[in-house]
Amino acid sequence: MSAAREMLCDTARAVFAEAATVGMAPIDNAGFGLLLVPEEQGGFGGDWGDVNAVLQISGVLVPGLPVAALIANASLQPAAAVSLMAGAMGHSLALSIEHVNTRQQFGRPLGKFQAVQQSLAVMACEVRAVEAAAAVLAARLDAVGLDPLAADFEIAAAKLRANRAVGVVTSVAHQVHGAIGFTREYDLSRVTIPLMRWRGEHGNDAYWAQILGRQVAGFGGRGLWEALTAR
Amino acid sequence: MQGFALYPFDPPGDIAALRAELRAWLAVNQPQGDIVARANCWASFDADFSRALGAAGYVGMTLPTRYGGGDRHPLERYVVIEELLAAGAPVGAHWIADRQTGPLILRYGSEEQRQRYLPGIAKGELFACIGLSEPGAGSDLAAVRTTARETAEGWRINGQKIWTTGAHFSHIMLALVRTEDGSERNAGLSQLLIDLDTPGITIRPIIDMAGHHDFNEVFFDDVLVPHGALVGTRGQGWQQVTAELGLERSGPERYLSSHALLAALIDAAGADPDPAVAALIGELTAELWTLRQLSMSTAAKLAAGEDPMVEASVVKELGNAFEQDMPRRVQAIVTSGWDDADDLARLLRALLIASPSFSLRGGTREVIRGIIARGLGLR
Ligand SMILES: Cc1cc2nc3c(=O)[nH]c(=O)nc-3n(C[C@H](O)[C@H](O)[C@H](O)COP(=O)(O)OP(=O)(O)OC[C@H]3O[C@@H](n4cnc5c(N)ncnc54)[C@H](O)[C@@H]3O)c2cc1C
Repeated sequence: MSAAREMLCDTARAVFAEAATVGMAPIDNAGFGLLLVPEEQGGFGGDWGDVNAVLQISGVLVPGLPVAALIANASLQPAAAVSLMAGAMGHSLALSIEHVNTRQQFGRPLGKFQAVQQSLAVMACEVRAVEAAAAVLAARLDAVGLDPLAADFEIAAAKLRANRAVGVVTSVAHQVHGAIGFTREYDLSRVTIPLMRWRGEHGNDAYWAQILGRQVAGFGGRGLWEALTAR
Repeated sequence: MQGFALYPFDPPGDIAALRAELRAWLAVNQPQGDIVARANCWASFDADFSRALGAAGYVGMTLPTRYGGGDRHPLERYVVIEELLAAGAPVGAHWIADRQTGPLILRYGSEEQRQRYLPGIAKGELFACIGLSEPGAGSDLAAVRTTARETAEGWRINGQKIWTTGAHFSHIMLALVRTEDGSERNAGLSQLLIDLDTPGITIRPIIDMAGHHDFNEVFFDDVLVPHGALVGTRGQGWQQVTAELGLERSGPERYLSSHALLAALIDAAGADPDPAVAALIGELTAELWTLRQLSMSTAAKLAAGEDPMVEASVVKELGNAFEQDMPRRVQAIVTSGWDDADDLARLLRALLIASPSFSLRGGTREVIRGIIARGLGLR
C-alpha cells in the first residue's frame, strides 16, 4: 500500500472511531465526501483503490452510517458494497481467530482442535476471495475512469461472489464463537448483521446471477474465456 | 495470515500477441478428436502433441536458452498454460516435467543433470513423473520407506512408490527416498532422479474408476543408479520437495479442470438461456473470475521470489471445490441423460467420474486446509 493510502487509512480509522459514537459529523467534517473529487475541483483526487481501502474500514467501524453514499454515486453502490463486505469479512475472521486462540475447552484452546482449524480455513478462503474480488474490481474501475458500464462484468462478478461468501463467513464465525457470539455485547454481530443486510442490498444473488449469466450467454462458451482474458 | 494484497500480474512483452499466436497455433495443431479429452485435460496424454508444442516453443519456456529453454518470464509461461488448459489441449504427457521437474533440476540439479535432461524436457519429448506417495505414506509423506543406500558403484534403491501418474510413459522419476540409515520422519530424505529404464524397476498399471490407465505402482528391486542421480543436497529432500509442492498448488490447473463443461453449458444454453441456467452460468462465472485473479496474483508473487504457501493453498482449496462441484451443479439443472451422446452429456459424465480426484491429487483437501490453518496461526 502506498504511503498516501496508508495515511488515508490511519485518518479513516481515527475519524470513523469517533463517528461510531457521535454519527456522521466527523466524517463530513474530515471531507470524506471529497475523496473522489479531483484536486483541481478542491477534492482529494483519490481513486477507487482508496475508496476500497476506506470502505473496508467503515464496514467494520461504522457499518450503519452512510459513508458509501457520501463518497460514491448511486451507480457505484454495488461496487461500494463489495468493499464494505470485504472489510466486515476480514474483521469476522480476525475476531474468530482471536477467540479460538484464547477460549479454552477440554484443557486447550479451541484453535488446537482440527475440526475448528478446518472450519476456519474454509472461512479464510472465502474472505480472501472477496478481498481479491474487491481489489480487482477497484483496479478495473480505476482503469476505466470509474465508468460502471465499462466495469459491468466485474461489478456483477464481485458483488455476486461477495454475496455468496456471506453464508460461510457468518456461519463459521458464529459457530466457532459459541454462545458469546450470539450476545448483543460481543462485537461479532456488529459485523455479521451488516453482512446479512448487504447481501440483499444493491443486488441479491439472483439479481446478479441473472445479469452476469445472460451477459456470459451472449459471449458464448469460447467467448467467455476471450472476454475474461481481454479485460 | 495478513489480509490479502493483490500482486499485479504484469508479465513483460506483448501478452495479447502471445495469446493470439498461441490461439492461432492451437486452431491448427490441437487434435480434434474426442471432446471428452478436453475435460481434465492435464491428464490427457498425447506425446505427439507435446512434441509439437515443444517445437513451437511452448514447453520449458522459463528454462535458460543454453539448456534449450525459451528464457521467458514465469508469467509468460502462466499465460501459455492457462490458454492451453482453457482450450482443453492434451498437455498431460509433458505436464509434470514442464511444471516442476524441469524447474527443480534447474534449481537444485548438477550441471551434468541439467545438460542431460533439460533440453529433452524443453523439446516436449522427455517426460517425468513424481515419486512421492507410497503404500504407507500418503498424506503422511514423512513416512516414506523406500531406501537408497550409497555404495561404491552408486545408490542401491529398494522399495515401492504408488499412484505414480504417467510412470508408464515417463523417462524419469524424481523420487523422494530415505538415504540415511535409521533416520526418522522428514530427516534423512533425499531426492533422486531415476532413469526408468534402469534394470530392477517394475511398473504396474493401476486402472482408475474412469477405466483409464493414468497412475501406476512402481517397484524398486535392488536398483542401481549412479552417484550423480542425487538431486541437490543429501538429506535435504524434504525441504526440496516442499518447494516443489509450492510450484504445484496454485497454477491454473487447480481451477480449470472442468472448464470444458462450463463452455459446453454456455453453448448449449444459447444466447437467451432459461433463467435457472443463466443463474448457474452467472454463479460459476463469478467464481471463475475470482479464482483466476487469485491464481494470477499468487503466480505474480511466486515470480517475484516470494513464497506464498498460504495463498497457493487458498487457490487450490477454492479451485478444487469449484471444479469438483461444477459437474454436480450442472447435472442438477440440465436434462442430459447419463448415456446421451451429445457433448454436454459426455463431458458431464466424464467430469462427474473424474471429480473425486480433484481434491486428492497434489495434497488432499484436509491437508491443504491444515496448511491454511497454520498460516492463520492456529497450528
Ligand atoms: C489422480 C491422482 C494422481 C496422483 N498422482 C500422484 C503422483 O503422480 N505421484 C505421487 O507421488 N502421488 C500421486 N497421487 C497420490 C496423492 O498424492 C495421494 O492420494 C494423497 O497424498 C493422499 O494420500 P492417500 O491417497 O494415501 O490418502 P490418505 O493419506 O490415506 O488419506 C485418506 C483421507 O484421510 C484424510 N487424512 C489423512 N490424514 C489426515 C489427518 N492427519 N487429518 C485429517 N485428515 C486426514 C485425507 O485428507 C483423506 O481425505 C495421486 C493421487 C490421485 C488421486
